[in-house]
Amino acid sequence: MNANLNQPVMVDVAEPKAVSGQVPVWLFLLGFVLLFWGMYYFDQRSGWFKTEVYSPYISVADLQRFQPPTGGVDLGRGRAIYENVCALCHNPDGAGKPNQAPPLAGSEWATGSPARMLRIPLAGLTGPIDVKGQQWNLAMPAMGAQMSDEDLAATLSYIRLSWGNKASEITPEMVKAIRAQVGNRSQPFTGPELLSIPEK
Amino acid sequence: MNYGPLIFLAAFFALASSWFGVVLTPQLNVGQLQQTNTLNGALYPVARPGTAQQGLQVYRANGCAQCHSQQIGQSGTVFDVLLANAGTNRAALSEALQKVKPTLSAADADQLLSRIPVEVARFTRREEADAAVKTLSVGGAKAQFLVCPVGPDITRGWGKRRNVAEDYLFDSPTLLGSVRIGPDLANVGVRQPDINWHLRHLYAPKSEVKGSTMPSYPYLFEKRKAGRQPSSEALALTSELAAEKGWEIVPTPEGKALVAYLVSLRSDAPLFISPISLASAAPAEVGTNASAANASAATNAPASK
Repeated sequence: MNANLNQPVMVDVAEPKAVSGQVPVWLFLLGFVLLFWGMYYFDQRSGWFKTEVYSPYISVADLQRFQPPTGGVDLGRGRAIYENVCALCHNPDGAGKPNQAPPLAGSEWATGSPARMLRIPLAGLTGPIDVKGQQWNLAMPAMGAQMSDEDLAATLSYIRLSWGNKASEITPEMVKAIRAQVGNRSQPFTGPELLSIPEK
Repeated sequence: MNYGPLIFLAAFFALASSWFGVVLTPQLNVGQLQQTNTLNGALYPVARPGTAQQGLQVYRANGCAQCHSQQIGQSGTVFDVLLANAGTNRAALSEALQKVKPTLSAADADQLLSRIPVEVARFTRREEADAAVKTLSVGGAKAQFLVCPVGPDITRGWGKRRNVAEDYLFDSPTLLGSVRIGPDLANVGVRQPDINWHLRHLYAPKSEVKGSTMPSYPYLFEKRKAGRQPSSEALALTSELAAEKGWEIVPTPEGKALVAYLVSLRSDAPLFISPISLASAAPAEVGTNASAANASAATNAPASK
């Protein structure tokens, strides 16, 4: 028993020891690749926290590229307004509707003098007029009085260039000029009154 | 050892950073949102009329947002080239059309030209669209491109463009919804502006939409004795649903408010931050009120079968 006490206690596990070693190079490379990918992802999708930028657009510059064309006459807009506003009576194909509105396709009013045509939506039209050799006696309210110059120009240009019509475009400047001439007239025009206006 | 201050600081910073990210940053971003102008110069959005504002509370009280979302998504934007006018030189235009769209045969090109105004090509890049418009402008022909948002929601006809924060400016609370058991309603006022349709649909959904799983809301209506003249508000119902002779079914003020709210839901204004040409190409079938579950699998809609 005493002999056992004199024997040293055997330690069978060595103390763990901290040694310095080299970090493998590929770990750094992986880190950089991940960082690059993360920044690229952020750049493509965050819009840099701008309030204006929503996906799928990636930046204000990108958004700018997707704006509809401005300036000139936007016939796409003209078609949309025509189909929302005018087509109820004049029919989507411009053929008009009996007892509601005369045709616009091939109509001498729609393809003739812009100065006369423009006055119709700006102040309205009432009483008998001849369209394509047929007499119509109806009333049209001033549907275009509330529209912006651009919208009215686009709508009328669409009418003048669609369904076989081949007349000149109407520009926002022309609308502005005629709107000033019409002023705040509350009475609709009549057919003879329009015909007395010079074509230009 | 006393870790108290350290634990306090750690908890403080953890909570403060999430407060910055989740509360403060969005508040600084969209908290001061104002009315803006559409691409046409009109003010957007405009406040809902009074009854529609009350209808929002009816919508909320009836849990409509449990089954209907109000947010249109968009996966991309394309340019559709619209040929608006053929001009005078038809042969040159037909040739230009084939140059823009090489897969088109001469006969197909002529067939397209006979349907003017018509969309003739679709591009994903602005430069290509500009080039096509230039190519097609021969002999007095007029072409232009339209900006068309695309995506599953837009294909279904639910919306025209993606929703943005401005669309919800006058909603309090904002009823975005997250589940699409029924169709998205962000644009329902554009899809179905008919008030009487909505009233009949709320009274008896299956009479308007075959196979609808929407419950009916009879308590938004009352059955009452018809006067000498039937009320102008009485629902025009099919014979098996209609009340017996001498009686009529009319909406309560809540029912009318809810419908006023529904038809006021429209988010199709062209905005700088969500551009769209007013004439969107190839309008998806108008009024597809089909629920997401049977329209396409590419959504988060639960399978309702």
